[in-house]
Amino acid sequence: MNSWSLPKIISAGLVLAAGVLLCVFAPSSPAQTSSGADAQAPQLDYEFFKTRVEPIFLKHRSDDHARCYVCHQMMRHGGGPLSLEMLPPGASFWTEEQSRHNFETVSKLVVPGNPSLSLFLRMPLAPEAGGLADTHQGGRQFASEDDPDWKNMKAWVMGQKAGASSAQSSK
Amino acid sequence: MNSSTMREKYICGQRAVWLLLGLLLVAVPLAAATARIYVTNRGGTTISVIDPATNKVVQTIKGIEAPEVVRFSPDGSRLYIATRSVDVLYVMDRKSGKYIKKVPLSGWANDAMVTNDGKLILVCIRNTGTEAVDAGALDIIDAKSLVKIKSIPTKRGLHDISVTADGKYAATGSPGGQVITVFDLQKMEIAWELPYDQGILPLVIESNPDGSGHRIFAQLNRTNGFSVVDFATHKEIARIKNPDEPSGFTPGCEGISHGIGISPDHKTLWSNSRPANAVFIYSLPDLKLMGHVSLPETPVPGKSPRGGGPSWITFTPDSRTVYVSTCGTKSVSAIDVETMKELTRIPVGEMPDRISTLIVP
Repeated sequence: MNSWSLPKIISAGLVLAAGVLLCVFAPSSPAQTSSGADAQAPQLDYEFFKTRVEPIFLKHRSDDHARCYVCHQMMRHGGGPLSLEMLPPGASFWTEEQSRHNFETVSKLVVPGNPSLSLFLRMPLAPEAGGLADTHQGGRQFASEDDPDWKNMKAWVMGQKAGASSAQSSK
Repeated sequence: MNSSTMREKYICGQRAVWLLLGLLLVAVPLAAATARIYVTNRGGTTISVIDPATNKVVQTIKGIEAPEVVRFSPDGSRLYIATRSVDVLYVMDRKSGKYIKKVPLSGWANDAMVTNDGKLILVCIRNTGTEAVDAGALDIIDAKSLVKIKSIPTKRGLHDISVTADGKYAATGSPGGQVITVFDLQKMEIAWELPYDQGILPLVIESNPDGSGHRIFAQLNRTNGFSVVDFATHKEIARIKNPDEPSGFTPGCEGISHGIGISPDHKTLWSNSRPANAVFIYSLPDLKLMGHVSLPETPVPGKSPRGGGPSWITFTPDSRTVYVSTCGTKSVSAIDVETMKELTRIPVGEMPDRISTLIVP
């Protein structure tokens, strides 16, 4: 009997989603695989992640959206790629060490500077807006790229630093 | 007033009484057949309630984050709601919508079921620990005291559950553990297990006329079809593969086959397929393919549509209509069983999940 476990199922799902993602978006962004593009890729900023992205995971945004953390916390996500640290008992936010770990985890689902190839951005985005949320067990968390929270996530992927102007974040 | 007028009025009155009695006699069976379809919105915080007479959402229960499933007391007065967000079973008074109790569970819940006599509430626990690798359990709650009376540990997390009609056994499936586990509900212990080469997704027990278990139909996460298990010998006796067509759709938000159910008249078995984006219908007991119904697709601007991600199945008590939730389309499909045609699509919450039928006595 092989060991096809829940994490592997989730991983397989992500591989599949990545495949779909590449099929869907790769033709429009051929330069991203070149070494030149990699050299120009922006650095992901930890402080921006901690202050502008991480809070989104805990935010109750509407009746039609469960908080990301509900399903993506480690024990409820089966070790899937976006498994977030468990909040300490009674705490409303992660410790510094945990946030660093979450940063590492989420960074693996991002192609810096390229939102189209970043699963982190595409998985929760509605298919009607070019996303893959119909394959996301949490559904369409973001109806369009105009969602303010999605814009913050995109700004982080684009390398925006903490303390940058709001105009920059709306790009 | 003369006597003939009085007699006429008396006769009219008698007619009215008989008419009223007749109407009542007609109304009572109609009332007895009243049903509601409950659909959880796992991506949100709502539960949609559909009236199958109109196929409209007639109620939305709010404020339960990531609800997994709703089950019912036999008299229809109570809702038992399991959720992914907190490790409790919500017990709600159906009419008032007020919580009666929040029963602590041993971990986060997936499916739940109530024995036909209403005495036990069985809850599949997906993970009792804090580690990524799930360690499951079957929590057993006494429906009278609303106290968890037993938690039977399992090696890995439990996904779905089905109970024999006599209430003596329950079968559960484990995706990570790749095993069907059957529980003896009288002894409250594991009766037997059947390991697989794949994860177990939704399953359903076919009972004998005396209520004992006959077969288990279990969906597997890498099989476009389902496994057939003989309840008496504890062995897999067949693996039914769905037809190759229709095809071309991606698995969607979980495994390949997701959602299986037996019609209340025990004549048909309905099994969802994600590669086909359809539900296949098999006759019972011989498991002959009768046909399929294509399910809603997810439109993608500028691209080919993707599969809607059929998820779970339920029926009206008269077996005339089957309801399939599709997680990618924010809708539930109502399908006419006789013609095998989709009647309508009912918009519900963001992520339609488990779906169940309440029969209001």
